[in-house]
Amino acid sequence: MGDVILTMKGIDKSFPGVHALDHVDLEVRKGEVHALMGENGAGKSTLMKVLTGIYHKDSGTITYEGKEVEFSNPREAQDAGIVIVHQELNMMGHLTVAQNIFIGREYMKGKLIDDKRMNEEARKLFDQLGIDIDPTETMSRLTVGKQQMCEIAKAISHEAKVIIFDEPSAALTEAEIEELFKIIRDLRAKQMGIVYISHRMDEIKVITDRVTVMRDGGYVGTLITKDCTKDDIINMMVGRVIYEDPKTESAVSPDAPVVLKVEHLNAGRMVKDVSFELRKGEILGFSGLMGAGRTETARALFGADPKQSGDIYVNGKKVDIKSPQDAVKCGIGYLSEDRKRFGIVVDKTVAENSTMASLEYYMKGLFINKKKENEAAQKYVDLLKTKTPGVDQLVVNLSGGNQQKVVIAKWLIRNCDILIFDEPTRGIDVGAKSEIYQLMSELAAEGKSIIMISSEMTEILRMSDRIVVMCEGRKTGELSIEEATQERIMHAATLRE
Amino acid sequence: MEKIKQNAIVKKIGFNRLVLICVWILLYILFAVLTPIMRPNNSFVSYARIISIMRYACFMGFLSLGVTFVIATGGIDFSIGPVMFCAALISGYQLTSRDWPLALCLVLCILVGTIFGIINGLLVTYGGLPSFITSMASMMIAKGVGSVFTKTQSVSWPQSTAENGWYRNLLSVQAGGIEIPVGLLILFAGAAVCAVILNKTMAGRYILCIGSNREAVRLSGVNTKKWETLAYIICGTLAGVAAIFYVAKNTIVQPGLGDTFNNDAIAGCVMGGTSMTGGVASIGGTLIGVLIIALLQEGILAMGYQSHYQYIITGIIVLVVVYADLRSRRRRN
Repeated sequence: MGDVILTMKGIDKSFPGVHALDHVDLEVRKGEVHALMGENGAGKSTLMKVLTGIYHKDSGTITYEGKEVEFSNPREAQDAGIVIVHQELNMMGHLTVAQNIFIGREYMKGKLIDDKRMNEEARKLFDQLGIDIDPTETMSRLTVGKQQMCEIAKAISHEAKVIIFDEPSAALTEAEIEELFKIIRDLRAKQMGIVYISHRMDEIKVITDRVTVMRDGGYVGTLITKDCTKDDIINMMVGRVIYEDPKTESAVSPDAPVVLKVEHLNAGRMVKDVSFELRKGEILGFSGLMGAGRTETARALFGADPKQSGDIYVNGKKVDIKSPQDAVKCGIGYLSEDRKRFGIVVDKTVAENSTMASLEYYMKGLFINKKKENEAAQKYVDLLKTKTPGVDQLVVNLSGGNQQKVVIAKWLIRNCDILIFDEPTRGIDVGAKSEIYQLMSELAAEGKSIIMISSEMTEILRMSDRIVVMCEGRKTGELSIEEATQERIMHAATLRE
Repeated sequence: MEKIKQNAIVKKIGFNRLVLICVWILLYILFAVLTPIMRPNNSFVSYARIISIMRYACFMGFLSLGVTFVIATGGIDFSIGPVMFCAALISGYQLTSRDWPLALCLVLCILVGTIFGIINGLLVTYGGLPSFITSMASMMIAKGVGSVFTKTQSVSWPQSTAENGWYRNLLSVQAGGIEIPVGLLILFAGAAVCAVILNKTMAGRYILCIGSNREAVRLSGVNTKKWETLAYIICGTLAGVAAIFYVAKNTIVQPGLGDTFNNDAIAGCVMGGTSMTGGVASIGGTLIGVLIIALLQEGILAMGYQSHYQYIITGIIVLVVVYADLRSRRRRN
């Protein structure tokens, strides 16, 4: 490890209603791989966005190569030698590899683009990195792993001194990860400073020299990787503080009837052989890190996305769910994590949204019985304490929590017995949050069965009767609420194949 | 301004529609003043002119009402004009060259429109093709089919006085020396039915919701493809109805034409406040939009200009209206 190249000290950043970063420190040295770890929402990405000028810090200092700096946009950071290799690849699939690498700074021959020169330069870069990619190949024809390599090559071509890898291995195969590590080690040998963001505990041990842990926007500590164990890191990530009392015992008897049984569900790249059971009156928590395949499992189960294989049983009867229509007929309702895109129709009224899934109950012959529809919507506005001036109010004018209640009303009016709540409290203020918790408990007590997907550990521990943990599309753990702890869940959530 | 918007009657009709009605009246006054100045000895204020406007508005109105449903889903149909011509050609050919009974030919006329609507709808929803491309293609096909069917000959539907000429009474009837605009009444009745479908039935509800957020509707367990296809079927069928009113006005139908009417129909619809991005539609607005376009057409001819000037003005109006729609949406978000 060489001299310090980058120091972030006391970085503070607030957004309306959220203290995203609370005096965070980070120090990167030349020739080191520095892991940045933390749960979802711990503030890792925000910190990197502050560093590269996407966000502006409220206070604190950034010292880079001995000078205090503040970049006003990613371009400036890039010019100074700080680049990010993003998790989602920012590549244009129909262009060639070389065209992608030099996008925005093409080599020119007079007024024309000099493709030959760009191909040569790209080849030089790849030789330097020891990667075998043809610069003239179309980007979309490369594997995700190779595309990632191109992204790295692009970063290096900016004469980077600090490279940030944001979950680079998420989409890579074992062999590709090996290749990635080889490149990272080369870069380290060239005295670059590397920040490595990942959830994968094993990788951290293999590739990094030091690890900085963040939790809830705060700085927890920095350790020398070889001196600490996996458990040390997990403990730091999870912390000892639990803000809300977790459930201590399941409210469901173990012999309650199974209302939903999923066997060997496979769908796309993100759902691999998932099996689980849901009992009557149970809240089944789905925990895991971002990209664990929980939403994808729910969507495949609900028929929103096609599934490759797997059997679904509702109340013991095998059902064939090919579309959301089929799922709704089986009494399944799905509350999406992305309310605006998949939940509500914003420029329609509360009443229209409430009866969206059950309009056929409110018909009088060919016509919609507006009076009956409004009554039903009003009933659920009262029941769920939705704050709206009236049922003819456009949903766009409601707050996030109240919009969520309208979506819940939609499924309650449909009288669904199985409810999938995907991140039900995301983007909702604290007051509405506890109302939704209470509502879920009441629904479960009435005999509805709920699958709750949540990335918030405290939410999982507070609400669930049983917890399924997923990692990379697989079910990696199932815990009863009695045996569940944050550490155990986190262990299962980072259990790679 | 806010006070006017809150007025009960204004609310009932809708502020935007009221503005459009005012635009129509102002344009009428403008033409009434300008026509005698531009062309001395000519006058714009006459019953004959009103009837002429009505004759144009009738077939345009049905085209425009139909496409309103498609635009409400967030799609577009550029095939309506040529489909209308295709329907008029095929049924007219059967009437004049194959001696089919008139009533049957009128049914056939509507049916041809319906068939194009079904094909467009299925391709867009179940085939997953963009509506823009689909309707462009079916526009060309409709033109070609019409021409091939009549062996590239134009078709002359019978005159009022001739045998089988009674269909022209659907547009207007001479009673005691006065021309009664029956067509306009039928158009208004048709518009009323469309308004009921759009605002009071399950089909209309889902068509509008699909236009706002298709995925949210699908994830509510609604068969979005079915309802979206229905919008195209309504559109095609009304293009078939429009064909009847077109021949009632013009009697002669040329093969290989019809695309200019797409623009007017879509313009009328957009002018009336139907959002090109879908989700918001107004049947009443469409009706007034069409009446404005028909007035423009008549007024510009009356002033002695060619109808090409009407295209320029219509184009500008559409740009202004769509821009205003986008602005107000952006402000809301």
